[in-house]
This record gives sequence, structure tokens and C-alpha cells, in this order.
Amino acid sequence: VEGIKKLLLQIGLEAERIEMFNLSSAMGPQFAQYAGEMTERIQRLGPSPLRRRQPLAVGRN
Amino acid sequence: MIVAEQKPFAEIKSLISGAKRILVVGCGTCVTVCFAGGAKETAILGSSLRIASRLNGHDKTIDEVTVQRQCEWEYIEPLEKNLDDYDLILSLGCGVGVQTLAERFPTKRVIPGLNTKFMGLPTEQGVWEERCQACGNCILHLTGGICPISRCAKQLLNGPCGGAQNGRCEISPEIPCAWELIWQRMTLLGLQEQLLQIQPPKDWSSSRDGGPRRIIRDDLRLPKEYEE
Repeated sequence: VEGIKKLLLQIGLEAERIEMFNLSSAMGPQFAQYAGEMTERIQRLGPSPLRRRQPLAVGRN
Repeated sequence: MIVAEQKPFAEIKSLISGAKRILVVGCGTCVTVCFAGGAKETAILGSSLRIASRLNGHDKTIDEVTVQRQCEWEYIEPLEKNLDDYDLILSLGCGVGVQTLAERFPTKRVIPGLNTKFMGLPTEQGVWEERCQACGNCILHLTGGICPISRCAKQLLNGPCGGAQNGRCEISPEIPCAWELIWQRMTLLGLQEQLLQIQPPKDWSSSRDGGPRRIIRDDLRLPKEYEE
């Protein structure tokens, strides 16, 4: 994961988009907390710059 | 094996900057086992370049292929049928691979994605060390199987210099003195007396001093009528 973070930076993407957490299948609340943290982080970073802009909606006649 | 490492990503990006359609060619032999230019590294570099190109607003076509061995004609010939689709070949082979591609496909630009470092071995996971300089006249039988040409900074033939301290080379405490290693090995073998034999200056004409080298084996060459 450290290697991929470096690679993302070199490519020009944010390294924070990837993270690794260690936890067991019995740690449900912890999992939910990490998932929440990542969701918040990703929302802050915004959509991937690789995603092409949707073409403007064409008005219907 | 030949040991290489990938050029910095920024350098590779600038090397391919003028091209629109690029074929990244990996090699399945030495550079695969040193994790520099095998199928996996070729796929990762191809994806990275595609992403970077898109982020920069360019739309380069970047495809990948890995051949078993870039340094032999028969392995790279199958590439020819698709080469019209590309204006640049980015080779992840060693320097020999790059040149084999350039020689076989002279109308294509071939650029190196690796820096070829040396002939050596992995001494532990993630660490590679030089062991042979291809001097062309092996003396390992005299030195207990430890090469003073590749492992002594001064390439001495008759024992250590005055710079060795506590078994380490003066160029770096990380590097063992080759002659200390040779002495230990010859002692282990009970052959240390052999080291008293003075070795004359080495004939370097079999090494790079003689210019580019070539081996011709008449017993292996094809008769003239088979040649094109």
C-alpha cells in the first residue's frame, strides 16, 4: 500500500485515496468507523479527476 | 542475472512525451526476476502512464506486451505484425533488449524504460549485488570463487590495499573487502598458500579495453546455404 501511495503521487493522484486497515471479522464497529472515515475522506477529495465530465444534457424539443 | 531498475516515472513520462501511440514491451527473463520489467511491472507502468496521460488532458494510446526474451530475434519477431499501430516502443528490457528491438525494427523509435545496472544476484529479498563484470578471462579458481574484479573497488589481484579496515572497503563501511573474503574462503579451503603466488598484471584486452566483443562458434553456425 505504501508503494501504491508513492505510485499514485507520481501519477498525479492523491495518495490518500488508498489506505489499509487491519482488523478481524469480529470487529464490526471498528470496520464501520474506518468505512465512515474513508467515505468522509473520499468525499473531501471529490470525484476522481479521471472520470470524464458528463456531456451537457441536451434540451428536449 | 542482468539486474536493472526502472527509470523514475517523471523521466519516462518526458521520454514518451512526443508520442501518441506507445507500445510498452516487457521482458520475461532477467528483468522479470529482479522486478524491473516483467509482465507485472509492464502492466503497472502501462496503467500508470495511461492515467497520467489522461490527467494531463492527453489521450495517448498505451498498450503493453511482454515477450519471453527481448534479446533474441525469434522472441521479438511476433511483435512486427502490430507495430504499425504504434509510433514509439518503450522497452522494459535491459540495454540488450532495447538494442535488439531497435536493430530488428529500425524504422521504429525504441526508448529505454530501465537503467541496466550490473550482473549479479539477490543476496536477500529486495537486495541485489554485483558479482561479475564480464572481464572475459575468469580467475575465480585463484580466488576461492570470489571475484576481485567485480567486488574490489581497485580490482586488485594480489591482496588487499591499505584502505581496508576491519574487513571493510574504504569506499563504504557497507561493502566488505573482497580480499578479506578471499582470504577467509581460501583459509576455509586450506588453500591460503596459493595466495602467495604473485599474479601478473591482468590482460584487459578480453574486457572492454579490446572494444566491443564477439564470440563466433563455427560448430554452431549454419552453413552458408541456409543463410538468407
